[in-house]
Amino acid sequence: MGKTTENIKFTEHLIFILSVIAVMVMCVCLGSVSIPLAETFTVIWNSIFGLPIPEGMSQSIILFVRLPRVLSVALTGASLSLCGCAMQGLLRNPLADGSTLGVSSGASLGAVIAIAFGITIPGFSQGGTMAVAMLSAFLSLIFILSVTYRLDSSLSTNTIILMGIIFTMFVNSIISLVTAIAGEKIKPIVFWTMGSLAGSTYLNVIALLASLIVFGTIILIHSRELNAFAIGEDNARHVGVNVKKVKMLILISVSALVGACVSVGGNIGFVGLVIPHMARMIVGPNHKRLLFASLYGGAIFLMLADLAARTIVSPLELPIGVVTSFIGSVTFVYIFYLTRKASK
Amino acid sequence: MKTQKRISAILAFILLVFSFAGCTNAGTNNSSNTPASSIQTETQKPVTDKIEVTDMAGRKITLDKPAEKIVVLSAADCEILYAIGAGDKLVGRGEYCDYPEEVNSIPSVESGMETNIEQIIALNPQVVIMSKMAQSKEHAETLEKAGIKVVVSDPQNIEGVYTAIKLIGTIAGKDKEADAVIDNMKSVFSDISAKADKNSGKTIYFEVSPLEFGLWTAGKGTFMDELAAMLGLTNAFSDVEGWAEISEEQVIERDPDYIVTIAMYFGEGKTPTEEIMGRSSWQNMKAIKNKAVLNVDSNEICRPGPRLVNALTDMYKFIYEN
Amino acid sequence: MLEVKNLTVKFGNLTAAKDISFSVKEKQWLMVVGPNGSGKSTIVNAISQCVPYSGKVYFEGTDVSGLKPSQLAKNIGVLSQNHFISYGFSVEEVVSLGRYAYSRGIFSSGNEDSEKIDMALKITGMESFRRQSILTLSGGELQRAFLAQVFAQDPKLLILDEPTNHLDLVYQKQIFELIANWIKEGNRAVISVVHDLSLAMAYGTHALLLDKGTVVSSGKTNDVLTAENLKTVYAMDVYGWMQSLLAQWKL
Repeated sequence: MGKTTENIKFTEHLIFILSVIAVMVMCVCLGSVSIPLAETFTVIWNSIFGLPIPEGMSQSIILFVRLPRVLSVALTGASLSLCGCAMQGLLRNPLADGSTLGVSSGASLGAVIAIAFGITIPGFSQGGTMAVAMLSAFLSLIFILSVTYRLDSSLSTNTIILMGIIFTMFVNSIISLVTAIAGEKIKPIVFWTMGSLAGSTYLNVIALLASLIVFGTIILIHSRELNAFAIGEDNARHVGVNVKKVKMLILISVSALVGACVSVGGNIGFVGLVIPHMARMIVGPNHKRLLFASLYGGAIFLMLADLAARTIVSPLELPIGVVTSFIGSVTFVYIFYLTRKASK
Repeated sequence: MKTQKRISAILAFILLVFSFAGCTNAGTNNSSNTPASSIQTETQKPVTDKIEVTDMAGRKITLDKPAEKIVVLSAADCEILYAIGAGDKLVGRGEYCDYPEEVNSIPSVESGMETNIEQIIALNPQVVIMSKMAQSKEHAETLEKAGIKVVVSDPQNIEGVYTAIKLIGTIAGKDKEADAVIDNMKSVFSDISAKADKNSGKTIYFEVSPLEFGLWTAGKGTFMDELAAMLGLTNAFSDVEGWAEISEEQVIERDPDYIVTIAMYFGEGKTPTEEIMGRSSWQNMKAIKNKAVLNVDSNEICRPGPRLVNALTDMYKFIYEN
Repeated sequence: MLEVKNLTVKFGNLTAAKDISFSVKEKQWLMVVGPNGSGKSTIVNAISQCVPYSGKVYFEGTDVSGLKPSQLAKNIGVLSQNHFISYGFSVEEVVSLGRYAYSRGIFSSGNEDSEKIDMALKITGMESFRRQSILTLSGGELQRAFLAQVFAQDPKLLILDEPTNHLDLVYQKQIFELIANWIKEGNRAVISVVHDLSLAMAYGTHALLLDKGTVVSSGKTNDVLTAENLKTVYAMDVYGWMQSLLAQWKL
């Protein structure tokens, strides 16, 4: 009896997974170009079972435009939301996010440098950007941590968040500088900073999936430690958590995931902030449930946001960041209002 | 902070578009075109030596004599100045002016949102030529107070480019040369227009930014749209106004006969054409199967200047002579 | 049980504790007393490995600095004075974290764990709050929840850093009674930092009197908290003042 509430139940997993699949199917079926449902299913069914696929535009659109994009979007949403959730637990701060730490900016800087100096990996057009973004996220992390260690050897929350803000400002100024000296390449850089998941390929999907499997798992198996951190870092130390080791593992995983997401889709705000917040209202603060709920919730949220971006102003397309920021900030204010009201 | 960043990104983008070119003209051409026709009559040399012009913002400007020291902020106007043989009068240029190559030895000033008035005044020009969108009214007023004449050049279509050339010609005292440049452009355009098959029913899609950064195209009211019409082609996105981000699905569904990308090639990796040809989702499209993908120099096709002729000629050769 | 030898803690140029040695044996309750800034909290933080120090801390003969965090937690438990709560974890979730050091892998939550958790909740009278969010608890209830956590952790040595600092009298009494009962069972000892000298006198078996980072006196409570010693450290007549305060009650 005492233990039943701790772990996420199998049925709850099932409900979440079914919702993710339902939204995914919806997002593949709907788009700027309308393709009859039956045709959509035929294309997918036949390609799964190796049957001949009817040639034509709908095949290209479903298999090479929508499916990889929807999968990339779902994986990006899940990764960013999981990162936000882990950071909020680790730093015991509901407003923390991958971006609060400065990791997103660090990754952006890497991506901008990769674009400005034309760093590419042959055969994988975005590979260069991704590798440099992840590396830059790592380096930013090491930079922030080493400076923070000097100021405050316990790596306290306040110091880290303050450093994150200062680092973000610092990095933004360097990005502006790189943009200024980039000459003609200013154009791709400006387009990149607007963020886009359009043109996602299966290569992107594989890269995002791999990083989520490796680093997402690291975060998920540390749910108990994150619970301890979320109650208090000192308390975590007192109950026997290896505070420095766990903190390092989580921060590295977060920066790798953020680096991968940023390099594929640009800086997409609010997902890591709002989704864990909403998930916490539904399943409570225990990370054994919360991490999974954030993972699924992030995927669902970003798929829906992307669907809106793709269809609202068809044939035009909105940058996905515009949609997430809009939905995200409204939701956030609403949540903030509710929690304030509740605490009175 | 996020929103701020986004806004600044959008502003930067808008600035970029206009400082690179003024490619967009989103249907505001009426107001700026009215004075255009009247310039022809007003700028006839009167008895006195005074030069009177109406610029493309409808402002009247009087010069005692043709300007000898000119600052040009937009890249297109800079090209015009050189085309009419008045390059030696250029004492300062906007930072994006990069053609012809000799322009690089002229001192550059910040243009666009950060137009640097101090730098301009320090160059002591008689006239500053700026495009309407990029520079604000305050800038113009400050310069006028410093005794520098401000001339606005703001072409929104090819007819507007002729007006701009004529206007700059008058200011620089190179009316004849300006007329020659205009005549040359007109003859090339009408030549190609006459040769092109107007009833082919074929479509063309302009790709402004590659898939990786989200697809942007040039719709109705852009120079590219106008050039397409001269080639007897329909812009696949003629239902879109100006420059806009469009959905990849739409491009595939509209299945254009020709694809023109203005992406720049930086010397590494795939060329823009190869990249488009290699997109797995596009393999069923006509243009890919027929290898009808062309990379055009974005500066030639976007800048409302004399080099529009080169862009059109390139496209004509590609479509009709290959 | 615990042996501290030549413990020195420096924060930059400031020496917060200098050359401190003492030991704690089974069933002892050591009260660490002294004025503000005398280094009380610094010493207990060093013992629980929260601040870097020089010198040695031995627990049952082993150097504590070489222990893994989980081994340390099985031997030494800490109850702090402040808890900054951000999220609405349930009391049960907080208490069950006390069993963290005993978990093997991610799946373990054995019967022994639930028994210890249930027992800790029962002892502290927090059973009825089991499912309640810690955000809704009063200060005294919250401190009892964390006391239950450290009871579930089942350490041999319990370190308390001013555990009742912000609490009403009723709760102060509750917490101290709970600890007094806890120490009676098995091989246990307590070190607590206290401000209130009468509490130190009432519950402590031993005391360590500090001033400006050094030990003024240590030994049995009665031998340490003498009128002279307190007068030197606090620069006032503590005994006289305490007695005059109490005298008000004898109407």
